[in-house]
Amino acid sequence: MTTKLTRSLIYWALLSPLMVVILFPFGVMFVTAVRPREELFVYPPTWGFSEFRWENFSEMWVKTNFGGALLNSLYVSVAATVVALVLSIPAAYAMSRYRFAGKGAYRTFLLMTQMMSPIVLVLGLFRLMMSLGLVNDLNSLVLTYAAFNMAFTIWMLQSYFNSIPRDLEEAAWMDGASHLTSLVRIFLPLAVPAMVVTAIFTFINSWNEFVLALTMMRSSEDFTLPVQIYAQVAGRYQVEWHHVMAATVLATVPVAIMFSWLQRYLIRGMALGAVK
Amino acid sequence: MANRIQKSVPMMMILPGLALAIAIIGYPIFDLGWTSMHDVSRFGKLTGFNGGENFAEVFVDPLFWESLWRTGIWTVAVVGGTLAISMPVAMILNDDFHGRGVARVIIMLPWAISLTMTAVVWRWALNGRAGLLNATLMNAGIIDQPIEWLATASTAFVVEILVGILVSIPFTTTILLGGLSSMPQDAYEAAVVDGASGWHQFRYITLPLMKPFINIAIVLNVIYVFNSLPIIWVMTEGGPANGTDILVTYLYKLAFRFGQLGKAAAISLVMFFVLLAFTMLYVALVSRNDRDDAAPEEEVKE
Repeated sequence: MTTKLTRSLIYWALLSPLMVVILFPFGVMFVTAVRPREELFVYPPTWGFSEFRWENFSEMWVKTNFGGALLNSLYVSVAATVVALVLSIPAAYAMSRYRFAGKGAYRTFLLMTQMMSPIVLVLGLFRLMMSLGLVNDLNSLVLTYAAFNMAFTIWMLQSYFNSIPRDLEEAAWMDGASHLTSLVRIFLPLAVPAMVVTAIFTFINSWNEFVLALTMMRSSEDFTLPVQIYAQVAGRYQVEWHHVMAATVLATVPVAIMFSWLQRYLIRGMALGAVK
Repeated sequence: MANRIQKSVPMMMILPGLALAIAIIGYPIFDLGWTSMHDVSRFGKLTGFNGGENFAEVFVDPLFWESLWRTGIWTVAVVGGTLAISMPVAMILNDDFHGRGVARVIIMLPWAISLTMTAVVWRWALNGRAGLLNATLMNAGIIDQPIEWLATASTAFVVEILVGILVSIPFTTTILLGGLSSMPQDAYEAAVVDGASGWHQFRYITLPLMKPFINIAIVLNVIYVFNSLPIIWVMTEGGPANGTDILVTYLYKLAFRFGQLGKAAAISLVMFFVLLAFTMLYVALVSRNDRDDAAPEEEVKE
């Protein structure tokens, strides 16, 4: 029988190679973001640098139009989240509370759309947005992100809705409240935490999306953050790596913190929605 | 009458979302099918029906077959590698030890970062002149010359597979953890009483009980990895000389660089059917699990 302490040491030793590889890019990001430009290309390459150059961040903000891309990303992610939730909440409620014809087929349809990847459809989507005149319009991303996230949001919400006891609503019906009233007055307030968690994951998914944003947004003032940062790297003779890394730090760290804080909910949602 | 309204309530609730999904996900599939059977100008104008010509062109294109072959290697290597690492990681994380919460957060970290950002950082870390991977390996005395990791296709592809594995671990571990946490403890206690070794417990209890979760992890990962563009696109854009192209990168180039829209639509359609096959497999797996669990679904009485 091993004690918890020795077991912990063995486990940490076993996990440490993987952790080093996981943390390595974060180290690269920070160390590059704060080093002076002249020390980017030194031979032999080294982790060390002479001083912290925090101005890199403010320089980068101006030079790469970080603020503009940030606003685009915020607009798209918030709007896509709102659209996805507004459409998913009633659907998830129906899945959780009613028996109706075609429920099984709808469930299969959701699974199918969850599996469809934007990249396979990207040409068709581009042609669709062309015909709607939405190319170069951030709303094309709002609609597509909402549509592609909806299967996931419905799963997540449904799994939480199932855990809300229906007695409360039934009691309200007995008292003569309509379904709509009980939904708005009793059910939705209870479901707020579930909606918040689901919303944050949808937000992160939209925030991180690349392929569709790269395709639909053709002019640089419409770029979202991932595309804007990619554009600083791709097809350039000289890449300002310290700016690129400063931008990745700003674009990823807040989201990473939010995600780390919420990941246990995701595990729960996955176990109930996707796996079961 | 009231009853009719009652019955249509759930329909009304799912309808708006369904309409959006059909417009955004359903319609493009139809459009791709239509486009793939036409000559298309580089500006996307259909200029005439040509039957299966686009498909014929795709099937005689050596780059298509090379990309397809590489897609196979990419998918099998990433999914296999991911599973081989995630299984022990999930088993460790499922056990109780000091600092488990911290360990879990670190292991899940790559999931929080967009693939694009991860790939951008790795592209710099692997830089042949000043990349910090070279710095690390040189400091450790493993190499004495910097290596141009992304300059030759074979090395670049291996590196991309490794990055692919790294970013797939959190998701896979999560699914496996879900399975492990639902494992019945009494089976292990009985096995310990019977004197089963750790390996035997793993081989005869854990693996069989985990099989549905492993299956789902495999199928979902196959679908995601098969479709994954950002890592390869950002790190090498399928180059040098198409040497790291997989189907998605090749498709993207055809459509948005070379303007060969008919051919790109044909490849999209081929990929769609491959994806459909995997999706059916997934749906079958999920519904089998549902039946096995035989969890009585609660329904509201109307």
